Amino acid sequence: MANPYLVVENLTKVYERGQVVALRDLSFSVEKGEFLVVIGLSGSGKSTLLRCINRLVEPTKGKIYLDGVDVTRLSSARMRRVRRRIGMIFQQFNLIDRSTAIGNVLTGRLGYTPAWRALLGWFSKADRDRALANLERVGLRDKAYVRADQLSGGQRQRVGIARALMQEPELLLADEPVSALDPATSHSVMQYLEQMNREDGVTVLASLHFLSLARRYGTRIIALKDGQLVFDGPPGAIDDTRFKEIYGEEAEEVEVR
Amino acid sequence: MTGYPDGFLTDPPSLSWPVVRDALARRAGIAGRHLAIVFLDVVGLAILWLLVTYIYAWYGLGSIAYTLVPWWAFVLGVVEGAALWESFGRSLGQRFAHRELSGASGVPTGGQRVLYFIGWHLTVLPLVGLFFDPPWHERLSGLRLGPPVERGEAPRPWYRTSSGLFLAALLLATAVAAVGVTITTTNLRRLFTEAGRTAKFWRAFFSPDTTILAASGRDLVVTIYMAVMATAFAVVVAVPLSFLAARNLMRGPVGRLVYTVLRGAMSIVRSIEPIVWAIIFLIWVTVVRAPFAGVLALWVHSIADLVKLYAERLEAIDPGPIEAITATGAGRLAVLRYAVIPQIVNPYISFTLYRWDINIRMATVVGVVGGGGIGQRLYHYLTGNLWQQAGTVMLLIVILVWAIDYLSSRLRAKLA
Amino acid sequence: MGTRGGWAALRRRSLSFFLDWLAWGYIAYTVMYLLNHYWYTVYVDWYGTLKLPSWGWPLVVLGTLELAVWSRALGRSLGLRAFGLEVTCPSLGRRILRAFLWHVSVLPLGIGVWLGRGEPWHDRLAGTRVRAVPKEPERPGRRALATQWGAMAAVLLVLTLWLGWLIIGINLQVLGRRAPWAAGIWRQMLRPDFRYFLESDPAFALRNLPFSILDLMVVTIFMAFLATVLGAAVAFPLSFFGARNIMGFSPVGWAVYGLTRGFFNVFRSIETILWAVVFAVWVGFGTFAGVLALTIHTIAALGKLYSEQVEGVSPGPLEAVWAAGGSRWQVVRYAVLPQVVPSFWAFTLYRWDINVRMATVIALVGGGGIGDMLFYYKNLSDWPKVGAVVMVIVAVVWTMDYLSGRLRERIT
Repeated sequence: MANPYLVVENLTKVYERGQVVALRDLSFSVEKGEFLVVIGLSGSGKSTLLRCINRLVEPTKGKIYLDGVDVTRLSSARMRRVRRRIGMIFQQFNLIDRSTAIGNVLTGRLGYTPAWRALLGWFSKADRDRALANLERVGLRDKAYVRADQLSGGQRQRVGIARALMQEPELLLADEPVSALDPATSHSVMQYLEQMNREDGVTVLASLHFLSLARRYGTRIIALKDGQLVFDGPPGAIDDTRFKEIYGEEAEEVEVR
Repeated sequence: MTGYPDGFLTDPPSLSWPVVRDALARRAGIAGRHLAIVFLDVVGLAILWLLVTYIYAWYGLGSIAYTLVPWWAFVLGVVEGAALWESFGRSLGQRFAHRELSGASGVPTGGQRVLYFIGWHLTVLPLVGLFFDPPWHERLSGLRLGPPVERGEAPRPWYRTSSGLFLAALLLATAVAAVGVTITTTNLRRLFTEAGRTAKFWRAFFSPDTTILAASGRDLVVTIYMAVMATAFAVVVAVPLSFLAARNLMRGPVGRLVYTVLRGAMSIVRSIEPIVWAIIFLIWVTVVRAPFAGVLALWVHSIADLVKLYAERLEAIDPGPIEAITATGAGRLAVLRYAVIPQIVNPYISFTLYRWDINIRMATVVGVVGGGGIGQRLYHYLTGNLWQQAGTVMLLIVILVWAIDYLSSRLRAKLA
Repeated sequence: MGTRGGWAALRRRSLSFFLDWLAWGYIAYTVMYLLNHYWYTVYVDWYGTLKLPSWGWPLVVLGTLELAVWSRALGRSLGLRAFGLEVTCPSLGRRILRAFLWHVSVLPLGIGVWLGRGEPWHDRLAGTRVRAVPKEPERPGRRALATQWGAMAAVLLVLTLWLGWLIIGINLQVLGRRAPWAAGIWRQMLRPDFRYFLESDPAFALRNLPFSILDLMVVTIFMAFLATVLGAAVAFPLSFFGARNIMGFSPVGWAVYGLTRGFFNVFRSIETILWAVVFAVWVGFGTFAGVLALTIHTIAALGKLYSEQVEGVSPGPLEAVWAAGGSRWQVVRYAVLPQVVPSFWAFTLYRWDINVRMATVIALVGGGGIGDMLFYYKNLSDWPKVGAVVMVIVAVVWTMDYLSGRLRERIT
């Protein structure tokens, strides 16, 4: 492929309130099919970076090319069409608690549904079948009509994954997908992401807290510190010195099994 | 990764408009904080002075007077008092703002305080000095008005601080003035001697007049329907308005303007009691349609109240689902429909029930000015000294209000 | 039968049945009212009493009973939905059978229910069962309006609004026709006459003292202040008697708790303005009556809020003081008070705010305060002066609202 799939160039984000600089002049690129893990301390700008890519957060400066298109310059209507192709899952799952699991999964099709149908909640039969199939895929077929707030944390995140699957994404942004989960559930969720990456060829950008998870699942790792890129390379290349550089002198590595 | 050593992202700031603007905004913030402290002290002292003279005039002269001195003397005294207080003690304003005077070497000396006092006049009165950092009087005296320093001592009890004593004096003076104005000896005597007058009423209260039950029952129904109609129509108006009155949804200059105007108007409407609204509407739709006027009065007040409750709830929604739905590429309306509305439906219903409950109560009151329903009947009996009937009606009101209160709180508990 | 669970289930079933019956009864009443109103407009008095022949009532009662039975047998009725129940459905035939059997089983004094040992005869014979809706549904739920209970709720809502429209006598034409006239009054009020803001109005003298708008506004604030202080002072000790966790579960505790809460509830449900009427008769017209009325209502309202706060304290510190051998009142002093004092202050401030608002209108029934002036000018139709008074009221109430809001934010 001539051009990398995703190119981030000189990306800077300054939050107006409090003049906080979240990202400073960040540049990197991602090839199609990579599983890129972003690591760093809390507040190092991981979430902001992911949100700049689908413009949930407006970048202050810099360019982001997705498949050769500069998404930072798109009008909001065209941005919506780009967002359809970018799935996203969240640390706090961000499900609609009062809606059923399948209701939540169906919202993944909103980008493809005409506005009036969306307002009335009329999703097509094909979408409904697809939603059930995706729930089946994350192992929640029997919970389809259960309200989201009745589900456990891991189940909720799997609903989030099914919602992202509905978009048939090319790119998946995962913002600390397992931070709110216990270790065992974390692995099951990460395995679904890995499966999407391997089987469907979805490019994955995941921010993670634990280095062990990053090493286990990532094909490449970038590290942020105070909004700057401090590491970019294969998982194996992070040794003890690198680790201290990223997480500070005090830090100890914790294993998640 | 590259860049200037001292943390600037790009070039160091030159004297461009944004830089000047930011600097001005910061200085204005400092000046504003200072002025707020001064304002609180001046207002506090002024109120205390007014109360003292009010008490003196009321008890000593038997009239109503506020300052008893020329207005310029009053202003001068209050401002000087505030200056003294702020320089030589920890004033009310300083305490509220969590600020304290401190020198470079801890507790300020007497000399420094005198300098501060003199500098205060130069700084605060012409206002200019406040825009310097540090302000003139702080520079002059070498003192700083900063957050209180922890000295590891137990804080003084309130009666040994000037602001504690001041607040106590304020409360006491208010109480003395209030007692003097509102309670007369004649009235007070009647409270004990004329208690017998109400015995009739209480006896009647417990021996209801059954002959009026049917008619009162019909009025009760009217009252309930007044509340229902007022609430229902208020919801229709308040729900759309609440979206315009939620700060987090109204962004941009136009949005902010709409938000401010709407919230302001609603709080004005809310501060006029439904009774006053009922008077206006009674004149409007004529007394023949009393319940209609009552409904309109409750309606107007309910809109204002519901918009506030709804909008505050909207401001407290979880932004997570909004992010998630936006990320799927959904349009604005779809985000509203799937991320916002599911979060607010139950609270909205709950607030509506709550307001219905209040409206039932208010409907009984609106009747007093002729707004129809059971209140009108009660007022008729009360003014006609028909105690037994009045007692019966009151009993019915108590039962109704109680039942509705119970019902609505049960339903609300279920919704939560 | 006889188990606790059995009784609770039976109670739920019966309540849901009565709710259905009530709903159908209400629908029947409304429909008859509307028929009467639109077709025989014979005589609709102020409250539109519904006249039925003597044989009509039993017919209505029995008819609605039948409707309730059939609606429950044939689908998920409003009552079932409200109590989270459903009837499992083998087939339509069995559902119909259930409705018929119901008459045999329940109508003879509920014999089938009593002897049915947890499963009434009609359910057992028809092979149906009433059960709580399972938490984990396997089928998609239908849209609310397509279900029986949804449709029923919608019908109830529409009928209520329709009936309300007629009962209240809502007349939008009048509203429109007389709007210019009302607008005239508004215009006059918006051109306020502040002549008597500082200077006292000679025509308006109370207690041999002429008052200005400002004077009376100050008096009003004083009234609210005094009522709040007195009310809070009484409500504070009372609130502990009205708290379940302080009073314990001894019979005496129950009695005191019940009495206190009953007092709060009864006195709270009579509005301040009605209390003002009582006190105006008792101590004479004027501010004192107003203060007393405000005080009584404040005691009840604050007492309830305080008590609920006391009941909501976290039990940990209480246990700690109990464990250290503290007496009941030591528990209150060292474990409860520190937890509730901030919210007590917040409620008190909130109440002051409400009292100022109330104090502006209780003059209507002789409670004194700024309302005296408001209604005096209103009776003279002196709208510019009414406008001035209203504006002062709005300014003061708004300021109080804002200040108490800010203070409450700081406290809690």
